[in-house]
Amino acid sequence: MPSTTSPPSSAEVGRAELESLLEAVLPSAYGLARQLTRNTTEAEDLLQEAALQAYRGLATFTPGTSFKAWFFRILTNRHYYRYREARRRPVTVEIDDSPDLYLFARTAESGLHALSEDPARLLMSKMTEEQIRNAMAELPEEHRVVVALFFLEEMRYHEIGEIVGCPVGTVRSRLHRGRKMLQKRLWHIARSEGIVDQLTPAEASS
Amino acid sequence: MSSVTRYTCEEMFRRLDRYLDRTLSEDELAMVMAHLEECAVCASEYRFEESLVEEVRGKLRRLDLPSDLMSRISAGLAAADDDSETTED
Repeated sequence: MPSTTSPPSSAEVGRAELESLLEAVLPSAYGLARQLTRNTTEAEDLLQEAALQAYRGLATFTPGTSFKAWFFRILTNRHYYRYREARRRPVTVEIDDSPDLYLFARTAESGLHALSEDPARLLMSKMTEEQIRNAMAELPEEHRVVVALFFLEEMRYHEIGEIVGCPVGTVRSRLHRGRKMLQKRLWHIARSEGIVDQLTPAEASS
Repeated sequence: MSSVTRYTCEEMFRRLDRYLDRTLSEDELAMVMAHLEECAVCASEYRFEESLVEEVRGKLRRLDLPSDLMSRISAGLAAADDDSETTED
């Protein structure tokens, strides 16, 4: 809070302004940071670094435009920078070419469609938030960011493209492929954690 | 004017991702909805995919924001100002 005996410094005004803008988007930003990183500590570190970068670059933000998009761009770029620094080598990603309707087919084969009119909801109701985040964490980096923005923020292609710095076509293909890969990861976790067996004990022995 | 009066299941399948992304045109969406009313197979696939998106979205959004996170960020920014003032002295 600025001192009552002297006017606030330009630094104090700028910081107060940024904090006010940040506070409004913090739940979303934290959600994204949690999807990008491995745990709460890393998510908070990432947010701190991004906030600092935003503060230093506040002059580049145009009032009236989307602060969320601007800050999310800083956040994702900061994440890529930290991620590549930690890896210390170029990231080579194996893209898993999962077939379409993967989870639909697997759940049908396992008998879940016979148990419920909404087998997707049935399966997901038995999975924890942690398990779903773990499935997300297994996606290749560039796909995970796009998928996270789609799920968390319901963003359209061009909004995501603005944040990750990609053309709409690239966003679309990463999102579609990312969702397919996520389905495969979710099924793997559901099988390995015994969730499918729990739901379909009669099938477990087959 | 399009001569297509209804979609085939193949055309429905090709539009599933964009349906989930909410990027179909109004005309396409109307055609998709019309097909879903008549085709149980496509309806179950679309319903499954849509439900999956909703469920995953719901779980991913369910995060407890640490109550003092903003004050920690604030302290970090203030410390950055203090650091730059110190180096200017």
